[in-house]
Amino acid sequence: MKKFRERRRKTSIWDKLFVICNTLFMIAFVIITLYPVLNTLAISFNDGTDALRGGIYLIPRKFTLKNYITVLQKNNLITGAYITVARTVIGTVLALVANAILAFIVSRKRFLFKKQLSLFWVITMYVNGGMIPTFLLYKGMGLTNSFWVYVIPGMVSAFNMLVIRTYMNGIPDSLEESAQLDGAGYTTVFVKIISPLCKPVYATVALFVAVGQWNSWFDAMLYNRMSDNLTTLQYELMKLLSSVTNQGTSAEVMKNASGAVTPASVRAAATILTMLPIVCLYPFLQRYFVTGLTIGGVKE
Amino acid sequence: MKAKKVVSALLVAAMAASMFTGCGDGTTGADSNSVGDTQSSEDGGVKEFTAFFAVPAGTEINDDNEIQQQIAEITGAKVKETWLTGQTAQEAVGTLIAGGEYPDFIDGGDGMAQLYDAGALIPLDDYIDKYPNIKEFLTEEEWDKLRQDDGHIYWIQQFGNIYGEEKATTHNDEAFWIQTRVLEWAGYPEVHTMDQYFDLIEAYNEANPTMEDGTTNIPYTILCDDWRYFCLENAPEFLDGYPNDGSVIVDPEELKIIDYNTTPTAKRYFQKLNEEYQKGIVDPESFTQTYDEYIAKLSTGRVLGMIDQWWDFAYTAGDSIKQQGLDKQGCAYVPLPITIEEGMKNQWHNSGGVLNVASGLGISVDCEDVEGALQFVDDLLGQEVHDLRFWGVEGEDYLVDENGEFYRTDEMRTNATDTAYKASHLCTYSYFPQYSGTSRDGINAMKPEYQAKEFYDSLSTNVQDCFAAYGAETYVDMLGTSEAPGPWYPMYSHSNNMTTDTEGGLAWAKMGEIKHEYLPKVVMAADFESAWEEYMEVYESCNPQAFIDEMQAELDRRMEEAAKYE
Amino acid sequence: MASLASKKKEKIKEPGVKITWKEIKRQKVLLLWAAIIVVYGIIFYYLPLGGWLMAFQNYKPRTGLLHSEFIGLAKFRQLFSDAAFLKVIRNTLAMGVINLVVTFVMAIVFAILLNEVKSKGGKKTVQTISYLPHFLSWIIVTGILHDALSSTGIVNELLLKFGILNQPLNFFAHPEFFWPIVAFANVWKETGWNAIIYLSAITAIDPSLYEAANIDGAGRWARIKYVTLPGIKPTIMILLLMNVGNVLNAGFEIQYLLGNGLVQSVSQTIDIYVLKWGISQNDFSIGTAAGIFKSLVSIVLIVIANQIAKHNGEERLF
Repeated sequence: MKKFRERRRKTSIWDKLFVICNTLFMIAFVIITLYPVLNTLAISFNDGTDALRGGIYLIPRKFTLKNYITVLQKNNLITGAYITVARTVIGTVLALVANAILAFIVSRKRFLFKKQLSLFWVITMYVNGGMIPTFLLYKGMGLTNSFWVYVIPGMVSAFNMLVIRTYMNGIPDSLEESAQLDGAGYTTVFVKIISPLCKPVYATVALFVAVGQWNSWFDAMLYNRMSDNLTTLQYELMKLLSSVTNQGTSAEVMKNASGAVTPASVRAAATILTMLPIVCLYPFLQRYFVTGLTIGGVKE
Repeated sequence: MKAKKVVSALLVAAMAASMFTGCGDGTTGADSNSVGDTQSSEDGGVKEFTAFFAVPAGTEINDDNEIQQQIAEITGAKVKETWLTGQTAQEAVGTLIAGGEYPDFIDGGDGMAQLYDAGALIPLDDYIDKYPNIKEFLTEEEWDKLRQDDGHIYWIQQFGNIYGEEKATTHNDEAFWIQTRVLEWAGYPEVHTMDQYFDLIEAYNEANPTMEDGTTNIPYTILCDDWRYFCLENAPEFLDGYPNDGSVIVDPEELKIIDYNTTPTAKRYFQKLNEEYQKGIVDPESFTQTYDEYIAKLSTGRVLGMIDQWWDFAYTAGDSIKQQGLDKQGCAYVPLPITIEEGMKNQWHNSGGVLNVASGLGISVDCEDVEGALQFVDDLLGQEVHDLRFWGVEGEDYLVDENGEFYRTDEMRTNATDTAYKASHLCTYSYFPQYSGTSRDGINAMKPEYQAKEFYDSLSTNVQDCFAAYGAETYVDMLGTSEAPGPWYPMYSHSNNMTTDTEGGLAWAKMGEIKHEYLPKVVMAADFESAWEEYMEVYESCNPQAFIDEMQAELDRRMEEAAKYE
Repeated sequence: MASLASKKKEKIKEPGVKITWKEIKRQKVLLLWAAIIVVYGIIFYYLPLGGWLMAFQNYKPRTGLLHSEFIGLAKFRQLFSDAAFLKVIRNTLAMGVINLVVTFVMAIVFAILLNEVKSKGGKKTVQTISYLPHFLSWIIVTGILHDALSSTGIVNELLLKFGILNQPLNFFAHPEFFWPIVAFANVWKETGWNAIIYLSAITAIDPSLYEAANIDGAGRWARIKYVTLPGIKPTIMILLLMNVGNVLNAGFEIQYLLGNGLVQSVSQTIDIYVLKWGISQNDFSIGTAAGIFKSLVSIVLIVIANQIAKHNGEERLF
C-alpha cells in the first residue's frame, strides 16, 4: 500500500514537471513562430523609406496605412480574388473526391492491381518532365488561357492519396465485410461506410489542397499570362514582389530600372493580406483534427 | 445520420463542381479564343498592343492609368505591358519560343539572342526610314551595330541615348563615395588616391567614432551579395584610370585586352583592403551581409564610405537619409576622383550614352499591325508624348516658370516616387525607346532627374557646400568627365552575353565563381601574400586566357566595323 | 490500436488475390475508376516525360524537342566530369538528410507534445500560431534570420551576455554553420505545418485505449510510447518513405538567400547549379539531365526503403 502511494506520488511529481516543461516549451515555440508574423505585420504598417534602415521589431516606428492602400489599389485585384476563390473551392472539391476515390481503390485488400497502381502513383512524385514539355502538353490540350489549368493538372496527387490511404488502412476490414454481406457494392461502402470515418483525414487533405491552390501563382503566370480575366490574387501580388527577388539579374538591367523596386513594406502588406483569408479558414477545419472524433465505437 | 450528411454534402459538392465544369467551359472556351485576337484589336478606335519584357524591373500600371489614357488619345494606341515574374529571362523566353506565341512587342533581356535565333522577330530595317523619330533615334553607325549576323536589324536599344546637349547631374555609375561630414571635418581636402581616401576615413573615424546621436560609425563597408559583388571586383580598372568596360581593360593605344584581375594595381587594391580589414576599418560583415542589410546600414547614416554604383543605393538608402534629415548632419554621399597613383587621369564618368547592343525592343512575328506598332514607337519619341511619359501632366506633375523652364514642388517630387501614384497616374512606357539629354525646346531636360535646377534644389545645403568647396555644381563635376574612349565601348555588352558554349564563356563563368569565393578570403586573410598566391593559382586554373582571347577577337571585330565610318 | 498494428503484419503476409474473371467482375467498379485515374496519370504525369529527350539533345528552343541535335549521353558525361557538380551533389545530399531528420523528428515531437496539452483552447491557439510561418516567403524568413544572427543581433547578444563568446561571431562567414542554419530555418518555418498530418492521425486513435492505459496506471511516457506512437506509426512510416525519396530536393531559394561567397562551397545545391550552369547559359539540356539523375536516385532510394519496410512488416508505399 505504501509502496503504491509512493509510486503515485513520484509519477505525479514527474507529471507536474512534465506539464510545466511542456507548457514552457509551447510558450517558447509560440513566441518563436509568432515573431516573424508580428514583425511582418509591424513592417507592413510602417513607412516604406523609414523601414529601409531596419530595426523594426514588433511596433511600427512610423505608422502608415499607405502600404495597404498601395496593394489594394493594384489592378485586377478583384478579378484575381474571384478566380482565386473559385480555384480554391473547385480545386479542393475535385482533388478531394479524386484522391479519396483513388485511395479507396488502393486500400481495398482484394483489389487486383493494388501494388501496381500504388507504384504507378508513387513514381509520379519523383519524376518531372520539365517546364517546357509540360507547357507544350497543356497548350496542345487547350488548357492554356483557361481556368481549368488551375484545377485539373494537380487534381490527383500521390502525396494526398497516400495520406488518405494510410488512414483508410487503419479502418477495420470487418466493417466493409459486414456491409458486403448485406449486399452493399463498393460504391456504397465508399460513400456510406468509409468516407464518414475519414473526416479527419479529408479535412487534412482539404487543407493541404486549399492552401496549395490559394498560394499558387506560377501556373497563372506561365499559362495565363496574357489573360487578365484569369489572373489570380497571388500572381497579381507576386508582380509587386518580383521586382525584389531579382535572382540572376544583372547590373545593366537594374540600372535601367532605377527606382522601380517595390519597397519591403509593401511586400509585407501584400504578405499579410494574402495570409489572412486562408488563416481564417483554419479554425473551421481545425475541429476535425484537434478535438478528436469519437470513432472508437465503430472499431473492433 | 452523420455519415449520410457528409456523403450528401460531398455529392452536392461534386455535382456543383461538375455543373461548374459544364457551364464554365463555354465562357473559358470563348476566352481562349479571344486571347489571340486581343493583340492589336481595336477598342473604341484605340489600338491595343501587348508587350512582354523579360526583365524583373517593371511595375505594372493600372488599366485606367491616366497618362496612358492621354497618350492613347494622342497616338491612338496603347500597350498592355507585362514583366518577368519569378522566372529568369532565359526560362521565360524559352517557354515563349516553345509555345510559339508572342506578344506584339518584346524585349527578351538576357534571352534576346534566343528570340532572334528562333525567328520570332521581324526585321525592322525596311521600316525604319518611314518613321522620322525612330530614324533619328540612332545614328547610322549605331543602327549598323545592331545588325545581326544576317545583316538585319531586329531590335531598337531603348536606353543610353542622349538628345542634343548632355545634361549631366548625378553620376549614375560606380565611384568611391564618402559622406560630406568627413570632407567637411577635414576642410575639404583634395583626395586623389586610394591611400588618401582610406587615410581620411581612418583619421575622421578616430576623431569622431560616433554619429551625433551616439551610433558607432562604420568606416567602410563592401557590398558583396550575389551579382552585386561587382563593385568589389572591378575597381582595379578604374583605379588604373580606365573606364567601365566592365569585364576587361582595353588599352586604347595598342587596342589590346588587359585582364584587370591580375594587374599590380589589383594586388595593391586588395592588399589595401586587407590592411584596412585588419585595422577594423572595413566592416567585418561586408562579405556576409545581404543587400537589404547593406541598405539598412547606409540608411542609418553610419557608413562613412563605400564603393558602389549610384542607382544601387541612391533611390533607397539615399532617400531614407534625406527623409530622416541626416543629410543635414553630413551623411549624404559624394563621389571622389580616386586612382591608384597621384596625377593619373580618372575615367569614372564618361560623357555620352552607352549603347548596349545585346538587347532592345523588338516586334514579334505575331504582331498583326507592324506599321501601327512602329508608328506608336515613333509617337512615343515625339516631344509632347515624351514629356508626358517622363515629366507627367503640366500643372499636376510639374509647373512651368516664365522662362519655359519646368520645375516641381516637393509634393510633386514625392508623388513621382510613390508606388500607388505611379500605378494609377504615371505611364513612362519604361522599356520603350527614350531619351536623356536636352528637350527639343532647348531649355529643359528630357527627364526631370537631369534638370539642373530641379536637381540642385533637391540637394541639402551640406552637399551644396561640399560641391562649392570643390568648385563643382553636380556629382559629375566632382569626378570630372571624359569622352567615351572609343568605338568598342563598352566591352561588357559582349561578355554579358557569353555562354558556356564557348571556351572563353566557360572561363568567364568560372572566373566569376572563383572571384566571388576568393576575393573575400583574400581581404580577410591574416597572411595576405599566401592568400593572394592561392587565389591566383585557382584563378589561373579557370583558363582566363581563353576569355581574354575571345574578348580580343570581339574588340578587333568592333574596330573593323568602326573603321568603315572613318 | 496496438493490436491493429500487429494484425497488419499478418495482413501483409497474406497472399494476393488471383486474377480471375469472377474477381474482375466483382471489382468492376474499382477497375473502372482505376482505369480512368490511370489514364489521367499517364496524361498529366507520364506524357511530359517525353521532355526527358532534351537531356540527350543539344536542345535549342528554335529547333524544339523534335529537331534538336542528338548528342547521346554527352550532357551526363559533362555533369559527372565536373568537380563542381559532384560537390553540389554532396551539399544537396547533406542538407537533404539533415533537413529530413530534423524536420521530421521535430514535427512528430511537436505533435505529440501538443497532444499532451490539456487545455483545448491552448491547444488550438498554439496550433494555429505554429503553422503561420508556413505562409511567409523565404525572403522574409531569411531576412529575419539574417537580422537575428548579425553581429548586433539577438543571438550574438545572448552569447556575449552569458560569456559563451568574447566577441560577436559572424555566423554566415563560417561554412560549418551553414547546414545547421538551413536546418533551423526549415524547422522554424515548417514544423507547425508538418505536424498537422500527425495531429490528424492522433485523432484517429481510439480514446478507449487511453482510458485503458490510465486504468493500468500507465504514466504519461508509457501512454505516449504504447498508445500514441503506435497509433501514428503508419503515418510516420509513409511520410518517412516519401521523404527519403526527396533528399535530393533540398531546395533552392533558402540556400540562395542565405548563401554568400564565403560559404558557396557548402551552400550550392543541384538546383542552384542547374540555374547557374544550365538555364542562365541558355542550356536547358543540363537541367533536364540533372533532373533525370535526381529522379533515378529518388526512385532507387524509395524502392530500397520500401523493401526494408516490407521486410519489417511496416506500412509501405507500394
